[in-house]
Amino acid sequence: MELTLNHYLILSAIIFAIGVTGVLTRRNVLIILMSVELMLNSANMTLIAFSHYLQNIDGMVFVFFTMTVAAAEVGIGLAIVVTMFRNKGTIDVGNFNLLKG
Amino acid sequence: MQGVMFIVLALVTLFSALMVITRKDPVSSILYLVLTFFCFAGFYVLLGAQFLAAVQIIVYAGAIAVLFLFVVMMLNLREPEAEEGKELIPIWKPLGYAVGIGVGIVFLSYLASSPGPAIPPLNGGDEIYAMGRADFLGKALFTDFILPFEIAGVLLLAAVLGAVALAKKKRV
Amino acid sequence: MTPNDFLPVLITFFVVGGFAGITLIATHILGPKRYSKEKHDIYECGLDYIGDSRKPFSVKFYLVAVLFVIFDLEVVFMYPWAVNFRHLGLFGFVSMGIFLVILTVGLLYEWKKGALEWE
Repeated sequence: MELTLNHYLILSAIIFAIGVTGVLTRRNVLIILMSVELMLNSANMTLIAFSHYLQNIDGMVFVFFTMTVAAAEVGIGLAIVVTMFRNKGTIDVGNFNLLKG
Repeated sequence: MQGVMFIVLALVTLFSALMVITRKDPVSSILYLVLTFFCFAGFYVLLGAQFLAAVQIIVYAGAIAVLFLFVVMMLNLREPEAEEGKELIPIWKPLGYAVGIGVGIVFLSYLASSPGPAIPPLNGGDEIYAMGRADFLGKALFTDFILPFEIAGVLLLAAVLGAVALAKKKRV
Repeated sequence: MTPNDFLPVLITFFVVGGFAGITLIATHILGPKRYSKEKHDIYECGLDYIGDSRKPFSVKFYLVAVLFVIFDLEVVFMYPWAVNFRHLGLFGFVSMGIFLVILTVGLLYEWKKGALEWE
Protein backbone atom coordinates (compact mmCIF):
# COMPACT_ATOMS: atom_id res chain seq x y z
CA MET A 1 0.00 0.00 0.00
CA GLU A 2 1.34 3.38 -1.00
CA LEU A 3 1.08 5.94 1.80
CA THR A 4 -0.21 9.35 0.85
CA LEU A 5 -0.43 12.69 2.60
CA ASN A 6 -4.16 12.21 3.04
CA HIS A 7 -3.63 9.15 5.20
CA TYR A 8 -1.86 11.24 7.80
CA LEU A 9 -4.27 14.16 7.49
CA ILE A 10 -7.32 11.94 7.94
CA LEU A 11 -5.80 10.19 10.93
CA SER A 12 -4.91 13.45 12.65
CA ALA A 13 -8.38 14.84 11.85
CA ILE A 14 -9.97 11.85 13.58
CA ILE A 15 -7.71 12.19 16.61
CA PHE A 16 -8.42 15.92 16.78
CA ALA A 17 -12.15 15.14 16.75
CA ILE A 18 -11.63 12.61 19.55
CA GLY A 19 -9.84 15.32 21.54
CA VAL A 20 -12.69 17.79 20.96
CA THR A 21 -15.20 15.18 22.09
CA GLY A 22 -13.16 14.52 25.23
CA VAL A 23 -12.98 18.21 26.11
CA LEU A 24 -16.71 18.69 25.61
CA THR A 25 -18.04 15.58 27.32
CA ARG A 26 -15.78 14.84 30.28
CA ARG A 27 -16.09 16.58 33.63
CA ASN A 28 -12.76 15.57 35.11
CA VAL A 29 -10.28 18.41 34.60
CA LEU A 30 -7.35 16.02 34.25
CA ILE A 31 -9.00 14.17 31.37
CA ILE A 32 -9.92 17.48 29.73
CA LEU A 33 -6.24 18.48 29.84
CA MET A 34 -5.29 15.09 28.38
CA SER A 35 -7.75 15.63 25.52
CA VAL A 36 -6.09 18.98 24.84
CA GLU A 37 -2.78 17.11 24.63
CA LEU A 38 -4.33 14.78 22.06
CA MET A 39 -5.41 17.76 19.97
CA LEU A 40 -1.96 19.36 20.16
CA ASN A 41 -0.38 16.07 19.12
CA SER A 42 -2.64 15.69 16.11
CA ALA A 43 -1.76 19.24 15.05
CA ASN A 44 1.92 18.31 15.42
CA MET A 45 1.44 15.32 13.16
CA THR A 46 -0.20 17.50 10.52
CA LEU A 47 2.74 19.90 10.66
CA ILE A 48 5.26 17.09 10.26
CA ALA A 49 3.29 15.44 7.47
CA PHE A 50 3.16 18.69 5.50
CA SER A 51 6.79 19.37 6.27
CA HIS A 52 7.72 15.99 4.82
CA TYR A 53 5.36 16.44 1.88
CA LEU A 54 6.69 19.86 0.92
CA GLN A 55 10.30 18.96 1.83
CA ASN A 56 10.42 22.14 3.89
CA ILE A 57 11.84 22.03 7.39
CA ASP A 58 9.81 24.91 8.88
CA GLY A 59 6.96 22.64 9.97
CA MET A 60 9.30 20.41 11.93
CA VAL A 61 10.89 23.39 13.68
CA PHE A 62 7.42 24.61 14.56
CA VAL A 63 6.72 21.32 16.32
CA PHE A 64 9.42 22.27 18.85
CA PHE A 65 7.47 25.36 19.76
CA THR A 66 4.21 23.44 19.96
CA MET A 67 5.87 21.06 22.40
CA THR A 68 7.11 24.02 24.46
CA VAL A 69 3.60 25.45 24.56
CA ALA A 70 2.20 22.04 25.54
CA ALA A 71 4.68 21.68 28.40
CA ALA A 72 3.99 25.19 29.69
CA GLU A 73 0.23 24.64 29.36
CA VAL A 74 0.36 21.39 31.32
CA GLY A 75 2.60 22.89 34.01
CA ILE A 76 0.29 25.85 34.61
CA GLY A 77 -2.92 23.91 34.03
CA LEU A 78 -2.09 21.23 36.56
CA ALA A 79 -0.96 23.86 39.06
CA ILE A 80 -4.41 25.42 38.68
CA VAL A 81 -5.99 21.99 39.17
CA VAL A 82 -3.99 21.48 42.37
CA THR A 83 -5.04 24.90 43.65
CA MET A 84 -8.70 24.31 42.80
CA PHE A 85 -8.58 20.93 44.51
CA ARG A 86 -7.11 22.57 47.60
CA ASN A 87 -9.89 25.14 47.69
CA LYS A 88 -12.88 23.00 46.69
CA GLY A 89 -11.89 19.39 47.32
CA THR A 90 -12.96 18.25 43.85
CA ILE A 91 -11.75 18.38 40.27
CA ASP A 92 -15.17 18.12 38.66
CA VAL A 93 -15.60 21.11 36.33
CA GLY A 94 -19.30 21.29 37.25
CA ASN A 95 -18.29 22.61 40.67
CA PHE A 96 -16.07 25.39 39.35
CA ASN A 97 -18.87 27.90 38.99
CA LEU A 98 -17.70 30.89 41.03
CA LEU A 99 -17.96 33.14 37.99
CA LYS A 100 -21.54 32.10 37.27
CA GLY A 101 -23.75 35.18 37.55
CA MET B 1 6.11 -2.56 4.93
CA GLN B 2 5.49 1.10 5.78
CA GLY B 3 1.85 0.80 4.78
CA VAL B 4 1.42 -2.13 7.15
CA MET B 5 3.19 -0.21 9.92
CA PHE B 6 0.92 2.77 9.33
CA ILE B 7 -2.25 0.67 9.52
CA VAL B 8 -1.16 -1.08 12.73
CA LEU B 9 -0.05 2.17 14.37
CA ALA B 10 -3.22 3.95 13.27
CA LEU B 11 -5.46 1.27 14.77
CA VAL B 12 -3.54 1.28 18.07
CA THR B 13 -3.59 5.10 18.16
CA LEU B 14 -7.32 5.36 17.53
CA PHE B 15 -8.07 2.69 20.12
CA SER B 16 -5.90 4.26 22.81
CA ALA B 17 -7.13 7.81 22.03
CA LEU B 18 -10.71 6.60 22.48
CA MET B 19 -9.70 4.89 25.72
CA VAL B 20 -8.16 8.15 26.99
CA ILE B 21 -11.48 9.98 26.77
CA THR B 22 -13.70 7.13 27.95
CA ARG B 23 -11.96 5.69 31.03
CA LYS B 24 -13.44 6.59 34.41
CA ASP B 25 -10.15 6.20 36.27
CA PRO B 26 -7.66 8.98 35.40
CA VAL B 27 -4.69 6.64 35.94
CA SER B 28 -5.72 4.31 33.12
CA SER B 29 -6.42 7.37 30.96
CA ILE B 30 -2.85 8.50 31.54
CA LEU B 31 -1.42 5.09 30.66
CA TYR B 32 -3.40 5.03 27.41
CA LEU B 33 -2.21 8.57 26.75
CA VAL B 34 1.39 7.33 27.05
CA LEU B 35 0.60 4.58 24.53
CA THR B 36 -0.82 7.22 22.18
CA PHE B 37 2.36 9.30 22.52
CA PHE B 38 4.50 6.29 21.63
CA CYS B 39 2.36 5.66 18.54
CA PHE B 40 2.79 9.28 17.50
CA ALA B 41 6.55 8.82 17.80
CA GLY B 42 6.15 5.89 15.41
CA PHE B 43 4.35 8.09 12.88
CA TYR B 44 7.10 10.68 13.16
CA VAL B 45 9.67 8.01 12.30
CA LEU B 46 7.58 7.02 9.27
CA LEU B 47 7.53 10.69 8.22
CA GLY B 48 11.30 10.99 8.55
CA ALA B 49 11.29 13.16 11.67
CA GLN B 50 13.60 10.92 13.67
CA PHE B 51 14.81 13.55 16.10
CA LEU B 52 11.27 14.72 16.79
CA ALA B 53 10.26 11.12 17.46
CA ALA B 54 12.91 10.94 20.18
CA VAL B 55 11.84 14.34 21.51
CA GLN B 56 8.23 13.19 21.53
CA ILE B 57 9.12 10.29 23.81
CA ILE B 58 11.42 12.38 26.02
CA VAL B 59 9.02 15.30 26.47
CA TYR B 60 5.55 13.80 26.27
CA ALA B 61 5.94 10.25 27.52
CA GLY B 62 8.83 11.13 29.83
CA ALA B 63 7.86 14.46 31.34
CA ILE B 64 4.25 15.43 30.68
CA ALA B 65 2.77 12.02 31.49
CA VAL B 66 4.80 11.97 34.73
CA LEU B 67 3.39 15.37 35.64
CA PHE B 68 -0.16 14.06 35.12
CA LEU B 69 0.57 10.99 37.23
CA PHE B 70 2.03 13.12 40.03
CA VAL B 71 -1.11 15.22 40.15
CA VAL B 72 -3.34 12.14 40.27
CA MET B 73 -1.27 10.77 43.14
CA MET B 74 -1.40 14.14 44.86
CA LEU B 75 -5.14 14.61 44.66
CA ASN B 76 -6.04 11.27 46.24
CA LEU B 77 -9.10 10.63 44.11
CA ARG B 78 -10.28 7.56 45.87
CA GLU B 79 -13.58 7.15 44.09
CA PRO B 80 -14.16 8.14 40.45
CA GLU B 81 -16.15 11.36 40.44
CA ALA B 82 -19.84 11.30 39.66
CA GLU B 83 -20.34 12.10 36.01
CA GLU B 84 -24.00 13.02 36.32
CA GLY B 85 -25.98 15.82 37.86
CA LYS B 86 -25.41 19.53 38.24
CA GLU B 87 -25.09 20.09 34.51
CA LEU B 88 -25.34 23.67 33.34
CA ILE B 89 -27.20 22.46 30.27
CA PRO B 90 -29.21 19.23 30.66
CA ILE B 91 -28.27 17.77 27.29
CA TRP B 92 -24.62 18.65 27.80
CA LYS B 93 -23.14 15.26 27.01
CA PRO B 94 -25.07 14.39 23.83
CA LEU B 95 -24.38 17.93 22.64
CA GLY B 96 -20.66 17.43 23.27
CA TYR B 97 -20.63 14.15 21.36
CA ALA B 98 -22.57 15.75 18.51
CA VAL B 99 -20.13 18.66 18.26
CA GLY B 100 -17.11 16.36 18.40
CA ILE B 101 -18.45 14.04 15.72
CA GLY B 102 -19.50 17.08 13.69
CA VAL B 103 -15.96 18.47 13.79
CA GLY B 104 -14.67 15.10 12.60
CA ILE B 105 -17.21 14.94 9.77
CA VAL B 106 -16.36 18.47 8.60
CA PHE B 107 -12.64 17.67 8.46
CA LEU B 108 -13.13 14.32 6.79
CA SER B 109 -15.61 15.59 4.21
CA TYR B 110 -13.15 18.32 3.25
CA LEU B 111 -10.30 15.83 2.98
CA ALA B 112 -12.45 13.41 1.00
CA SER B 113 -13.81 16.07 -1.37
CA SER B 114 -10.37 17.29 -2.43
CA PRO B 115 -8.77 14.82 -4.80
CA GLY B 116 -5.64 14.66 -2.67
CA PRO B 117 -2.28 15.95 -3.79
CA ALA B 118 0.09 14.03 -5.95
CA ILE B 119 2.34 12.49 -3.38
CA PRO B 120 6.09 12.90 -3.30
CA PRO B 121 7.97 9.75 -2.48
CA LEU B 122 6.97 9.13 1.12
CA ASN B 123 8.87 5.89 0.57
CA GLY B 124 11.82 7.73 -0.89
CA GLY B 125 15.53 7.28 -0.42
CA ASP B 126 18.03 8.51 2.13
CA GLU B 127 18.08 12.19 1.13
CA ILE B 128 14.29 12.51 1.52
CA TYR B 129 14.59 11.46 5.13
CA ALA B 130 17.73 13.45 6.00
CA MET B 131 15.62 16.50 6.87
CA GLY B 132 14.55 15.27 10.28
CA ARG B 133 18.07 14.94 11.63
CA ALA B 134 19.06 17.02 14.63
CA ASP B 135 21.75 18.99 12.77
CA PHE B 136 19.38 20.10 9.99
CA LEU B 137 16.76 21.09 12.54
CA GLY B 138 19.37 23.00 14.51
CA LYS B 139 20.52 24.94 11.45
CA ALA B 140 16.95 26.07 10.79
CA LEU B 141 16.16 26.69 14.45
CA PHE B 142 19.21 28.87 15.10
CA THR B 143 19.04 30.95 11.93
CA ASP B 144 15.45 31.61 10.79
CA PHE B 145 13.77 30.88 14.12
CA ILE B 146 16.09 32.52 16.61
CA LEU B 147 13.49 34.99 17.92
CA PRO B 148 10.78 32.35 18.47
CA PHE B 149 13.44 30.31 20.24
CA GLU B 150 14.15 33.07 22.75
CA ILE B 151 10.43 33.68 23.17
CA ALA B 152 10.03 29.97 23.94
CA GLY B 153 12.54 30.55 26.74
CA VAL B 154 10.36 33.37 28.10
CA LEU B 155 7.32 31.07 27.87
CA LEU B 156 9.09 28.40 29.90
CA LEU B 157 10.09 31.05 32.45
CA ALA B 158 6.44 32.09 32.71
CA ALA B 159 5.48 28.45 33.22
CA VAL B 160 7.94 28.07 36.12
CA LEU B 161 6.84 31.31 37.75
CA GLY B 162 3.15 30.49 37.36
CA ALA B 163 3.48 26.95 38.66
CA VAL B 164 5.45 28.07 41.74
CA ALA B 165 3.13 30.97 42.47
CA LEU B 166 0.03 28.79 42.15
CA ALA B 167 1.08 25.54 43.75
CA LYS B 168 3.39 26.65 46.53
CA LYS B 169 1.78 26.85 49.93
CA LYS B 170 2.02 30.24 51.54
CA ARG B 171 4.50 30.50 54.37
CA VAL B 172 2.77 31.08 57.69
CA MET C 1 18.33 7.00 7.85
CA THR C 2 15.09 5.80 6.36
CA PRO C 3 12.24 4.39 8.48
CA ASN C 4 13.43 0.91 7.52
CA ASP C 5 16.61 1.51 9.53
CA PHE C 6 14.43 1.69 12.65
CA LEU C 7 13.53 -1.97 12.39
CA PRO C 8 15.94 -2.88 15.25
CA VAL C 9 14.09 -0.41 17.50
CA LEU C 10 10.81 -2.08 16.63
CA ILE C 11 12.28 -5.52 17.29
CA THR C 12 13.56 -4.31 20.66
CA PHE C 13 10.06 -3.07 21.52
CA PHE C 14 8.57 -6.43 20.65
CA VAL C 15 11.25 -8.38 22.53
CA VAL C 16 10.84 -6.24 25.66
CA GLY C 17 7.06 -6.27 25.54
CA GLY C 18 7.01 -9.96 24.68
CA PHE C 19 9.34 -10.81 27.53
CA ALA C 20 7.21 -8.91 30.02
CA GLY C 21 3.98 -10.38 28.67
CA ILE C 22 5.24 -13.95 28.45
CA THR C 23 6.69 -13.76 31.96
CA LEU C 24 3.38 -12.55 33.35
CA ILE C 25 1.37 -15.21 31.53
CA ALA C 26 3.86 -17.99 32.30
CA THR C 27 3.93 -17.28 36.03
CA HIS C 28 0.16 -17.15 35.99
CA ILE C 29 -0.09 -20.55 34.34
CA LEU C 30 2.91 -22.36 35.80
CA GLY C 31 3.14 -21.01 39.34
CA PRO C 32 1.47 -22.93 42.16
CA LYS C 33 -1.34 -20.99 43.82
CA ARG C 34 -1.45 -21.42 47.58
CA TYR C 35 -3.00 -18.33 49.10
CA SER C 36 -2.69 -17.37 52.72
CA LYS C 37 -2.83 -14.15 54.67
CA GLU C 38 0.93 -13.69 54.35
CA LYS C 39 0.77 -14.23 50.58
CA HIS C 40 -1.59 -11.30 50.21
CA ASP C 41 0.69 -8.95 52.09
CA ILE C 42 2.76 -6.51 50.08
CA TYR C 43 6.02 -7.73 51.61
CA GLU C 44 5.87 -11.40 52.35
CA CYS C 45 8.91 -11.31 54.64
CA GLY C 46 9.22 -7.73 55.68
CA LEU C 47 7.62 -4.88 57.48
CA ASP C 48 3.89 -4.83 58.07
CA TYR C 49 2.33 -2.22 55.82
CA ILE C 50 0.45 0.83 57.00
CA GLY C 51 -2.64 2.02 55.14
CA ASP C 52 -2.83 1.71 51.35
CA SER C 53 -0.76 3.11 48.50
CA ARG C 54 -3.12 5.94 47.57
CA LYS C 55 -1.89 8.39 50.17
CA PRO C 56 -1.84 11.96 48.87
CA PHE C 57 1.61 13.17 47.91
CA SER C 58 3.01 16.45 49.07
CA VAL C 59 2.69 19.26 46.56
CA LYS C 60 6.49 19.74 46.74
CA PHE C 61 6.83 16.79 44.35
CA TYR C 62 4.76 18.72 41.84
CA LEU C 63 7.10 21.71 41.96
CA VAL C 64 10.09 19.43 41.40
CA ALA C 65 8.26 17.75 38.51
CA VAL C 66 7.50 21.11 36.87
CA LEU C 67 11.16 22.01 37.17
CA PHE C 68 12.01 18.67 35.55
CA VAL C 69 9.66 19.35 32.62
CA ILE C 70 11.12 22.80 32.03
CA PHE C 71 14.71 21.63 32.04
CA ASP C 72 13.75 18.64 29.90
CA LEU C 73 12.56 21.13 27.29
CA GLU C 74 15.78 23.08 27.71
CA VAL C 75 17.85 19.96 26.98
CA VAL C 76 15.70 19.25 23.93
CA PHE C 77 16.57 22.71 22.60
CA MET C 78 20.24 22.17 23.40
CA TYR C 79 20.63 18.99 21.29
CA PRO C 80 20.22 20.69 17.89
CA TRP C 81 22.41 23.53 19.14
CA ALA C 82 25.20 21.22 20.32
CA VAL C 83 25.51 19.29 17.05
CA ASN C 84 25.80 22.61 15.20
CA PHE C 85 28.06 24.31 17.71
CA ARG C 86 30.99 24.92 15.32
CA HIS C 87 28.73 25.85 12.43
CA LEU C 88 26.81 28.46 14.45
CA GLY C 89 29.86 30.04 16.07
CA LEU C 90 29.61 32.99 18.44
CA PHE C 91 26.06 33.88 17.37
CA GLY C 92 24.70 30.52 18.42
CA PHE C 93 26.70 30.65 21.64
CA VAL C 94 25.28 34.03 22.60
CA SER C 95 21.71 33.16 21.70
CA MET C 96 21.87 29.95 23.71
CA GLY C 97 23.43 31.98 26.54
CA ILE C 98 20.44 34.34 26.57
CA PHE C 99 18.07 31.36 26.58
CA LEU C 100 19.90 29.79 29.52
CA VAL C 101 19.92 33.07 31.47
CA ILE C 102 16.15 33.40 30.99
CA LEU C 103 15.57 29.90 32.35
CA THR C 104 18.03 30.38 35.20
CA VAL C 105 15.91 33.32 36.37
CA GLY C 106 13.05 30.84 36.82
CA LEU C 107 15.28 28.48 38.78
CA LEU C 108 16.48 31.32 41.02
CA TYR C 109 12.88 32.41 41.62
CA GLU C 110 11.89 28.91 42.67
CA TRP C 111 14.96 28.71 44.90
CA LYS C 112 14.33 32.07 46.57
CA LYS C 113 10.65 31.25 47.15
CA GLY C 114 11.80 28.19 49.04
CA ALA C 115 10.07 25.77 46.68
CA LEU C 116 13.18 23.58 46.61
CA GLU C 117 13.54 23.31 50.37
CA TRP C 118 12.34 20.04 51.81
CA GLU C 119 11.96 21.21 55.42
